Amino acid sequence: MTNNQPLIQVRNLDLYFGAFHALKNVSVDFHAGELVGLVGDNGAGKTTLIRVLCGIHTPTSGEVFFDGRKIVKFHPKLAIDQGIETIQQSVGLCDNLSIARNFYLGREPVKRFLGVPFLDFSRMRDMSTKVIRQFGLRDNVSADDEVERLSGGERQSVKIGRAVEFKNRVVIMDEPTNHLSVREREHVNELAVQLKEQGLLVIYITHDIFQVHKLADRIVIMENGEKVADAMTDSMSAEELEEVIRQGGRVIEKQEAV
Amino acid sequence: MALQAAKPLIRRHSELGIFLIGAVLIVIFATTSEGRWANLYNIGTILQMTATLGLMSLGVALVIGTGEIDISVGSTFGMGALAYLWLAMQIDPVVAVFAALAVGAAIGLFNGLLVTRSGTPSLIITLGTLMIFRGIAIALTEGFSFSIPYADRKGWAYFLFGGGEFLRFNTALYWLIGALVVLMIVLKAMPFGNRLLAVGGSAESAHSRGVRVDRVKLVTFVICGMLAAFAGALEAGKLGFADGSMGRLMELQAIAACVLGGCLLAGGRISLPGALMGAFVLSSIQSYLVVTGVRPQWFLLILGLVVVIAAYGDRTLRQWALKK
Repeated sequence: MTNNQPLIQVRNLDLYFGAFHALKNVSVDFHAGELVGLVGDNGAGKTTLIRVLCGIHTPTSGEVFFDGRKIVKFHPKLAIDQGIETIQQSVGLCDNLSIARNFYLGREPVKRFLGVPFLDFSRMRDMSTKVIRQFGLRDNVSADDEVERLSGGERQSVKIGRAVEFKNRVVIMDEPTNHLSVREREHVNELAVQLKEQGLLVIYITHDIFQVHKLADRIVIMENGEKVADAMTDSMSAEELEEVIRQGGRVIEKQEAV
Repeated sequence: MALQAAKPLIRRHSELGIFLIGAVLIVIFATTSEGRWANLYNIGTILQMTATLGLMSLGVALVIGTGEIDISVGSTFGMGALAYLWLAMQIDPVVAVFAALAVGAAIGLFNGLLVTRSGTPSLIITLGTLMIFRGIAIALTEGFSFSIPYADRKGWAYFLFGGGEFLRFNTALYWLIGALVVLMIVLKAMPFGNRLLAVGGSAESAHSRGVRVDRVKLVTFVICGMLAAFAGALEAGKLGFADGSMGRLMELQAIAACVLGGCLLAGGRISLPGALMGAFVLSSIQSYLVVTGVRPQWFLLILGLVVVIAAYGDRTLRQWALKK
């Protein structure tokens, strides 16, 4: 499963927001064909770390390698062009635009007329309609509706559907099952496993160690901006990992009951 | 029940309010001015005013669409007018128009770079450049004004840029229609328009999808500057005269036209036809005050009152439409 060269390699990453030290000397490898659970409490730095990987934040120091090449410039456009799809938690959809327009934002399909690019509306509409039906949005929701009309779960479905549709090499999911019903949640988890089986790298961020332990090959735990644990799921149980989180990242020798 | 049916339409088209207000005002103006307002000559004058204010409003509407604002357009208008008249005299009107566009683009670029690079609110940046370029315009024309006598303004080039009439209307009107059509297509049917509205809707989300937010804003400021300067050139082409005060206070009218026309100042939702209707309403009011002989001292006061009432009426209408 794990080949020699990591697809994404993070080395000694530090990130400051002003005086706030958000990421502290983080080093971690991610391989193609791997489903990695990134776990930690609120404010642990999970989202900050993946925001570096998808180009939103530029690290203060440290290096990121993608497919063996060092990343010099950080911008979401570059990450997306490299094949990194991210399902962000709080951003990613513009309320004032239709589902179809959101779906293709930043990479709109065009038909050229005398060299001038015009939006290919039928393609935008067909593709996004297909996806919103797959994800079981209400029947009266159309691809031309503004995102503003959608419920939290529906928004999440649009974001996930978009990432899966454009899947390329890496899919990063930040709390993907928030706002979702039980059935939708199962669907998303199945998708994550399927993507991994297709050879993609899937990074799955969550609070819920028990949920992700069932899916993931490996768990990375963050705490207070640092990576505190990195273990294969077959070598540590969910309970043991939960204990690590509870202890603020220190692996505690369990006391034997006498 | 017909009223109930209109609600979804009003909710979806925020510009309907201004069209309704426009229709009401047209009726009032036409019936209370004993034919002095509603005649072809006066309508032609209103449309010429609408054309120059409208070109400026289109640019401002686009900037508002990205969630920023440009209040320097009045000075840009003045600079465009001066550049046009100065070079039309010396060289050629066509060269002069390109020069005016270049001046507008440069001012837009200056605004855009300051806003995107420094992250300072565009309101304060463009307030500053409003004063800077007004100052330059006044300094350039100190003690004299630029003018080209009517007799010298012959030839197709003068005709084309506001100096003549085609089918009884000033040529500026046709430029306005052309600009509206092109910008509507860009906004609704091209990738750039999609990104522009996305930036105004949520700059963070647009950024996360790989949209180069700063570049979109920069381009929009440049387009806005060019439109304002072009409007100035057309106005100068009509009058054959320009001084340092050209376009003064027009920036406020342009913003009022946009807001009356249903553009959301927070960004992301704009209507270009609405902004033009706003410009038409403001021009109509001015013209009405002139033809009914209201003393110029009362001008601003009455104009302002009508703007406030129109804005209030529009808001009431929208809130009514949002209710069940």
